[in-house]
Amino acid sequence: MLQTAFNGLITGIIVTLPALSVTLLFGVLKFPNFAVGAMMTLAAYMVFALNVQLGWPLTIATAAVAVAFGGLLIVIDYLTFRPLRQRDSITLMVASLGLGFVLENIARLAYGNTARSFAIELARPFRFLDIRMNREQMITVVVSTLAMLAMYFLLTRMPIGRAMRAVSDNPALALVRGIESPRIIRWTWFIAGMLLAVGGVLIGMDRALEPPMGSSYLIAAFAAAILGGLGSPLGAFVGALIIGIVSELATLVIPPNYRIGIPLCVIALILIFRPQGLFGQPYIRK
Amino acid sequence: MSDMLAVRQLHAGYGEGDILKGVDVTLPAGQVVTIIGPNGSGKSTLLKTLAGLLPVRQGDIVLKGQSLKDLSAPRRVRAGLSYVPQEYNVFRNLTVLENLKIAREFMADAKTRGAAVISDELLELFPDLRGKFKARAGNLSGGQRQMLALACALAVRPEVLMLDEPSTGLSPKYMADIFETVRTVNARGVSVLMVEQNAIEALRISNTCVVMANGRVRMTAPADEVLGMKDLHSLYLGDARENAVAI
Repeated sequence: MLQTAFNGLITGIIVTLPALSVTLLFGVLKFPNFAVGAMMTLAAYMVFALNVQLGWPLTIATAAVAVAFGGLLIVIDYLTFRPLRQRDSITLMVASLGLGFVLENIARLAYGNTARSFAIELARPFRFLDIRMNREQMITVVVSTLAMLAMYFLLTRMPIGRAMRAVSDNPALALVRGIESPRIIRWTWFIAGMLLAVGGVLIGMDRALEPPMGSSYLIAAFAAAILGGLGSPLGAFVGALIIGIVSELATLVIPPNYRIGIPLCVIALILIFRPQGLFGQPYIRK
Repeated sequence: MSDMLAVRQLHAGYGEGDILKGVDVTLPAGQVVTIIGPNGSGKSTLLKTLAGLLPVRQGDIVLKGQSLKDLSAPRRVRAGLSYVPQEYNVFRNLTVLENLKIAREFMADAKTRGAAVISDELLELFPDLRGKFKARAGNLSGGQRQMLALACALAVRPEVLMLDEPSTGLSPKYMADIFETVRTVNARGVSVLMVEQNAIEALRISNTCVVMANGRVRMTAPADEVLGMKDLHSLYLGDARENAVAI
């Protein structure tokens, strides 16, 4: 039971980064971006290319791809979403679905469907209080925690982070307070890109690299973001941990194959009983 | 007296039709101009268009000789035009301090950007915000929120302050405070363009009154003259709008 809960915690921690990306992008751009799964996949394969094919250490490869991927998402936004910015959120959501298919299949075209893994040395798992923990899980905990702290610092202490929260809170008011929304949108894509690249690598370390790897976390990421309250970074973090632990613990009573249904049930329940999520504000149509 | 802001034959609106159908308004430097008129006359639309939230379809907006019509809303703020919307005028999920910080963080002028956020001037003008800086703006009372919105708009050291119904929904105490603050701000050199339903209170601190109806200016007159009119109520309720004589 303790081991299962711990595994759930790790799953939840892996989900924090994509969930945070979902909530940041939704907050600023006001549409659910269903391409986040495929974006993680593509970024993970980019890291694979540097790490395995070029022999770069995984940390350096991840850092390089995180920055490059942030830039790539700005370009993708310019080509895909910017022309549709004035359309409704459904149009943008459908565009993100299409983009997801394209990105995932670019990875498939380049590397096929075979499962691959990063070039990392195997290490013996160690035990603590009857919990078995391997090195990849430790890295996941440390990296995700650092990423969350960095995000907290950015969103609360830095002008650009405050501006992202302001645009998310009230886009029209942000304009008349002198905040250039195109600049904030670019920053949001850049930061989301970095988070997704790191998230992709963590998933690749936890499992294996294969084209559907990112998409398989999509529902969990959305469930976490919705549970926490779309647009609330703290909510995404708490939501991800809850989703991870609940999904894993549920396997004690239901067959593991049905685990995927848990986040969907959470989405349904939260939309019925508390649509604004745990930390979100009730939506006011202006 | 030179014109701080001149609105010339302004056309703007939502969708197909124009709500503003050729509006002319002039705000002389250092003065307070209050716009009154019945609901739907285009008063708020005028302020939104001046702020850059709605595009100018025809006509021009000139601030100190510079045309603003092609500038984005943030650039208009930097040019010196600050706007307080009627509702949703603070970032509710940000703290009071964050609201004040963000108001000046994106200004081009380094002096404005670098000035202390909590200054003696701020505390003197907005004593109600004292001790509230860590509170979430969404948790403030209506009056405190309005004060915060005003403080944010002033944080950019504007030449022109535009207020959309600043007294709406406020208690008599806050209403008096708001008008007193506007008067003080104006006395310090900020020109004010205000839309207000509470005409009598607003006109008492104004130099000029503009009456709008059906997207057009029906009358422009000195505020004290309008205050003395027997049918003042009907001017902004709309009954006498067709009878009003342009001065």
